[in-house]
Amino acid sequence: MMANSGALALIAWLLPIFSFLVLAIVFPFRRLGRPAAWFSTLCAAGAFASAVLAWRIQSVAAHPVHLVWPWLPTAGKTIADVGVLVDAQSTIMLCLVSLVAFLVQFYSVGYLHDEPAPALGRYYAYQSLFAFSMMGLALAPNLLQLFMCWELVGLCSYLLIGFWYQRPSAARAAVKAFWITKAGDVGMLVGIVMLYRLAGTFDITELHSMAASNALPLAGLSIITFCLYLGAMGKSAQFPFHVWLPDAMEGPTPVSALIHAATMVTAGVYLLVRTDWLFALTPNVLLIVAWIGAFTALLAAVLACVQDDIKRVLAYSTVSQLGYMMTAIGAGVASAGFLHLLTHGLFKALLFLGAGAVIHAVGSNDLPNMGGLARRMPQTALVFIIGTLSLAGIPIFGGYVSKEEILGAVWGAHLTGPFLLLMLVAGLTAFYMFRVVFLAFFGTPARVAAVAHAGAGHTTPPRVAHAALHNEAVVEGAHVNETPHAHEPPATMLLPLWVLAVGTMVVGVMSTFHLGGFAAAEAAGETAPGWLTPTAVGVALAGIALAWATYQMRAVNPESLANAFGPIRSAALRKFWIDDIFEGIYSFVLLGFSRIVGWIDRYLVDGVLNLLSDWTVQAGDELRGIQTGKPQDYVYGIGAGVLVLILLMRLVF
Amino acid sequence: MTEQITFAALAIILVGSALAVVLSKNLFHAVLWLALALTGTAGVFLLLDAEFLAAVQLLLYAGGIITIVVFAIVVTERLIGERLTQTNMRIGGGALISLVLLGFIVNVLRKSPLPAARPEMSVDLTRVLGELVLTRYVLPFELLAVLMLAGMLGAIYFARPED
Amino acid sequence: MGLEPYLFLSATVFCIGLFGVMTRRNTIGILLGIELMMNAVNINLVAFARYTAMAAGFVFTVFTICITVTEAALGLAIVILLFRVRRTVMADHLDLLKG
Repeated sequence: MMANSGALALIAWLLPIFSFLVLAIVFPFRRLGRPAAWFSTLCAAGAFASAVLAWRIQSVAAHPVHLVWPWLPTAGKTIADVGVLVDAQSTIMLCLVSLVAFLVQFYSVGYLHDEPAPALGRYYAYQSLFAFSMMGLALAPNLLQLFMCWELVGLCSYLLIGFWYQRPSAARAAVKAFWITKAGDVGMLVGIVMLYRLAGTFDITELHSMAASNALPLAGLSIITFCLYLGAMGKSAQFPFHVWLPDAMEGPTPVSALIHAATMVTAGVYLLVRTDWLFALTPNVLLIVAWIGAFTALLAAVLACVQDDIKRVLAYSTVSQLGYMMTAIGAGVASAGFLHLLTHGLFKALLFLGAGAVIHAVGSNDLPNMGGLARRMPQTALVFIIGTLSLAGIPIFGGYVSKEEILGAVWGAHLTGPFLLLMLVAGLTAFYMFRVVFLAFFGTPARVAAVAHAGAGHTTPPRVAHAALHNEAVVEGAHVNETPHAHEPPATMLLPLWVLAVGTMVVGVMSTFHLGGFAAAEAAGETAPGWLTPTAVGVALAGIALAWATYQMRAVNPESLANAFGPIRSAALRKFWIDDIFEGIYSFVLLGFSRIVGWIDRYLVDGVLNLLSDWTVQAGDELRGIQTGKPQDYVYGIGAGVLVLILLMRLVF
Repeated sequence: MTEQITFAALAIILVGSALAVVLSKNLFHAVLWLALALTGTAGVFLLLDAEFLAAVQLLLYAGGIITIVVFAIVVTERLIGERLTQTNMRIGGGALISLVLLGFIVNVLRKSPLPAARPEMSVDLTRVLGELVLTRYVLPFELLAVLMLAGMLGAIYFARPED
Repeated sequence: MGLEPYLFLSATVFCIGLFGVMTRRNTIGILLGIELMMNAVNINLVAFARYTAMAAGFVFTVFTICITVTEAALGLAIVILLFRVRRTVMADHLDLLKG
């Protein structure tokens, strides 16, 4: 029975790489497009099924399954293994990853139906590779395999953000995401290597037992955990590395749902959850984690309030929620962070896929181009609102309990500062998400209203925007009358939405009423004071109310609201100059350094090389005289050579 | 005893004429000295009981080659319009190399066990040669004929008059 | 009398021929040197054949003589050709091997 769960996890892990290899190697198959897509989706479904089975078995098993093969053997011992470490955490992560991967692949069949066949095949090859890498990360029995998969998901993220590589902005965003996460990864690698030097193993289980028996020396451990945290910061978009995530929205929306909301960006959180016993030894680093997490949450929430691009709102919201999870880990209650990771994975994927449906229908990312969509696409609106309520932390919806647990954990850890920040964020979250809901699904498109107002009934001819997938930002006022033609997405897109919505609701209901497995998890959250839940829900409701008053009832003029927060708003519109600071660092420090290096290269290195090559050429010129081209000289040379050989034989032998 | 004296005389002729071949200033004289050296070689063959080979040596070398060389000299001298002179270069180095090589060979020979006396050969060597060439070595012999034909054609091709 | 004197004689002639090949400035002179070397080889062959009483040695001497003659004829033909092309038979002016 125990070995079974290991084998099942292994199957779940290897199915996507099988699909990837088939798509990558079997030559004409990938270029067929649609069959390749269905094949990959089928493999993802199989992976999900076996992941669920593995989870069912493992959730009642007493011990984790450690199924490994030696990878880097040296004399006497193996430096690192590859394989799977199957326990409750990794299997439930596996379930989340494979579920979202499967749904996203399924959804993409509908979403990307206008892609040319070879591009579709390429997309699914990347998707399969990503699923493999992410599952490998979740199941990694040692830090080395984890790091490897970590880099692989980074690569897949790069490839998928740049999926529409013909667009310069997408290519730039891909490179930006790659480099910024890479900056954190360098720190992580340093941390892993230092940890190996300290402990002599990469294996997570061994490290855990060493930490539990106080076998790990504490000196220098803070640096190690901080280095690991650096990697997590890059991947999970913590301040100041969060700048790549909003730009990553250049990729197709399903990719954003899978990679940049539900799975890859949570890898950093997952890493910290996996090694929370290690971080527990270094409370000072945990404090940093908590403060940076809370600050990130607030910063991203403020930024989300001023975005007009629906995907960017969701992206900042993801950053903000990741900040939540990080704060929980910083408070020392990694389980709360992990729970929020799981619920967030569900409802954020739902929100992104819902946003994808909206974008698909409207043909634009911009909120002002939307409005009144609830009448046109009621199902999408319904599931989107479910996701929004989950994110806002309203009872019986998915995110409620996990959010409460985080708040309780942070309060319980006496981190008053981060707690207040998170409370503020809870209100802001509800506000900006309902701003999206009211702007997109209710009322009338802002731009239509504006044009009707200004142009006195002059209507622009309607234009079918259905196929405008490669949406460049719609030109101001040129063709605004698009929403009337919006309609419900096809079944391939609706089905995943409903699955996720039902999943979110089930998790929400079960957790709210302490059913099933949540009864045990709830024990940790009991320390929270009684006033906490009403306050948090109240703050969220206040946010919703403010959004309703502002964007639905127009009781509060958005302009005056904006003016009230004038300086913050203008700062937020410039993304708090963080991108500019990076830009400045880049242009002054890096370019300056590059110039110095370039000068050294041009004049010192090249100079030496030129000198050497000049000498060589000169020597060649001199030596050329030996080659006279006269046959006799060669005979002479042969004679002399024989002479030398004879002498050698005499002298040496 | 007569054998030693004959050999000594032949050796002196051979080495002396060979030196003259490589040192003579006049090319034509060098060719004549070569003829003498080849004839001396034929004498050595006679001394080694190879009468047939001595005859071949005289006919082919002393006759054939010398004729060809003289012909070549005459042709080129006529074309060039001046006397062909012979000079040497790098005599020191060449002499050193040759002498050291000679010393080495002599050294090796001295150390090798060599037969001190020749065995008796009662048979008629010319007859034996004729039989061998037409029986056991007939294939190499025919191939040799092909080679000579090819060499002849090549020589004609190279030396053919310009179009 | 033993085999040794014949071999000394042949070695001497061979080295003289080598000296000629290395030092002669005239191409025909070089060819003469080569002839001397070939001749030395023939002496060697015949002497060994006689002192071991193997008739095959004589047969091969016939072969080498024939091949030498062929080679000489071809060599001279090449000399004439070279002369036509380069207008000289001086080996130190013939630097055709130079790249």
